[in-house]
Amino acid sequence: MKFAIEVKGLRKTFVSGWLRKREKTALKDLDLSVPQGALWGILGQNGAGKTTLLSVLSNLLTPEQGEVRVLGKNMPAHARKICRRINLCSGHANFLWSLTVRENLDYYAMLYGLSGRRRQQQIEHLIELFDLAEFVRVRFDELSTGTKQKLSLAKALINEPELLFLDEPTVGLDPDVARRIREYIQRLHDDKGTTILLTTHNMKEAETLCQQVAFLKDGTIKACGRPQELKRELRLGDTILVSFQGSLPVSTVSLLQNIRGVYGLQARNSSCTILVDDHKERLPQVLDVFVSNKIFINDIRIQESNLEDVFITFARGDH
Amino acid sequence: MSLSLLHEEITKTRAFVFKNWIMARRNVFTLLEILFWPSVAFLSVGLLAEFVALEQKMKGFILVGVVSMGALQVCQLDVAYALLYDVWSKAVKHAFIVPVGIRHLIFGSLIVGIIRGGIVFFLLVGASYWIFAFDFTVPGIGPLCLFLFGLFLNAAMVGCLVCILVLTFGNRAEVAAWSLVSLMLLICGIYYPVTILPRWAGTVAELVPLTYFLEYFRHFYGFQPTFTHVLARGYTLVITYLLLEFYLMKVALRRAKKTGLLLKLSE
Repeated sequence: MKFAIEVKGLRKTFVSGWLRKREKTALKDLDLSVPQGALWGILGQNGAGKTTLLSVLSNLLTPEQGEVRVLGKNMPAHARKICRRINLCSGHANFLWSLTVRENLDYYAMLYGLSGRRRQQQIEHLIELFDLAEFVRVRFDELSTGTKQKLSLAKALINEPELLFLDEPTVGLDPDVARRIREYIQRLHDDKGTTILLTTHNMKEAETLCQQVAFLKDGTIKACGRPQELKRELRLGDTILVSFQGSLPVSTVSLLQNIRGVYGLQARNSSCTILVDDHKERLPQVLDVFVSNKIFINDIRIQESNLEDVFITFARGDH
Repeated sequence: MSLSLLHEEITKTRAFVFKNWIMARRNVFTLLEILFWPSVAFLSVGLLAEFVALEQKMKGFILVGVVSMGALQVCQLDVAYALLYDVWSKAVKHAFIVPVGIRHLIFGSLIVGIIRGGIVFFLLVGASYWIFAFDFTVPGIGPLCLFLFGLFLNAAMVGCLVCILVLTFGNRAEVAAWSLVSLMLLICGIYYPVTILPRWAGTVAELVPLTYFLEYFRHFYGFQPTFTHVLARGYTLVITYLLLEFYLMKVALRRAKKTGLLLKLSE
């Protein structure tokens, strides 16, 4: 498997103060391998080290220790070559305030060495892709937050990067704009096969967009995997609430507990709560037990655990 | 260097010309930088010279200083702006994630600096002739060009130093963009010959290339230079400093990436 990002033993400490030096280790012996063409998410609380990690990967910070390989090349030794093939979009977009949307795109395109017709075609394509046509002559400081963020994404695609870092791309946006930005990201990944590494605090966003997520806490990756796998790993699972007529015989309780993927069961008078790994897989099996034991079901409710539960579990250090 | 590589180099340099030019065009304060401050300095010093009834030769000495200073100040600001515009926009990280070198940043912004500094210089040269009857073209086109080019290289040197200081100390060093030139005013013999300076200050003046360029230009008006081979010394020093600054800027950038200052400048 080819990896777009390979990080081994990455460590980054910030030192502040002139007389009394204070040290803060942002990343501790971090290992991460992101396959080419993947769309992965980095999750973690504020100050977990997400932005620091993206900054090291995009040559805005130099690592103190460890090996960083981006697109098969060592960073920062081959930074110039790597920088041609990567780009970054961050939340709270900031660009040159006096330049219009088109001028900002022109400026960044020139910085990547794009010239002539190729530059114009690329800018036109991005303006169309992000619905920026009506804002091309508007100065950056006169744009709405949503349009600034669209410009930020457009700028991040100006060099058609093979690897894109998105640092909280939908932070502070209204739900409609955020949804559209997520659609752009998904389309970009699906159509061009761009490797994307994004950080977010929005668990739903991570769950919908990311194939895999890595949880960063205190500068290290605590867990990495598909959202479903992580839920399973933490035994968070889904909850099936069944209400029925009569009470549950001990033999039925035992049959339900013996189903593979059932983590726990609590039975009361005429209802029970069953914690399962995945409700989609376990519900038919649970229903089978009820039907075969001739227990009449009044109502079934399902409570899905989500990535937010996983996040909270990791953040609290319960795992 | 292949043709496509050369084309890419030019495009990247053009990016900084484009940025500085538009930012300057849209900012009313940059217009004041060209017209207001240099004119105020020029007129107040020129009128003072009239008031104290300086002879034409001495008046010329001072006008050469004040006109050079105005052009240098505007030109060096543009070089410093190449970084400061990004700092003020909080867009530093976008400027340093791109595959450009320090040379693109300096040369690109210097081109705009030369245009703006050139406008200041020629406006004040015209004003010197019409208001104070002092002719800047006496030395001839060749020496004037050599002097101007040296002046702009000095501006690049000061602008680079501002960028190095900002990359080392952060936003608080941006004040250097306006104060470094004032220090030069004190040391390099803008209003007086360096011979009247205390010994230690004279030694410092010898280390600043602008001193030699001013002496070079003034010698066409009958002022005997304090040093020999002033033009060669001036160019040697300014080119040496520029090369040293290119290296120091790389070091400062590397350090800013190590300490996290580069990210802080974007916050």
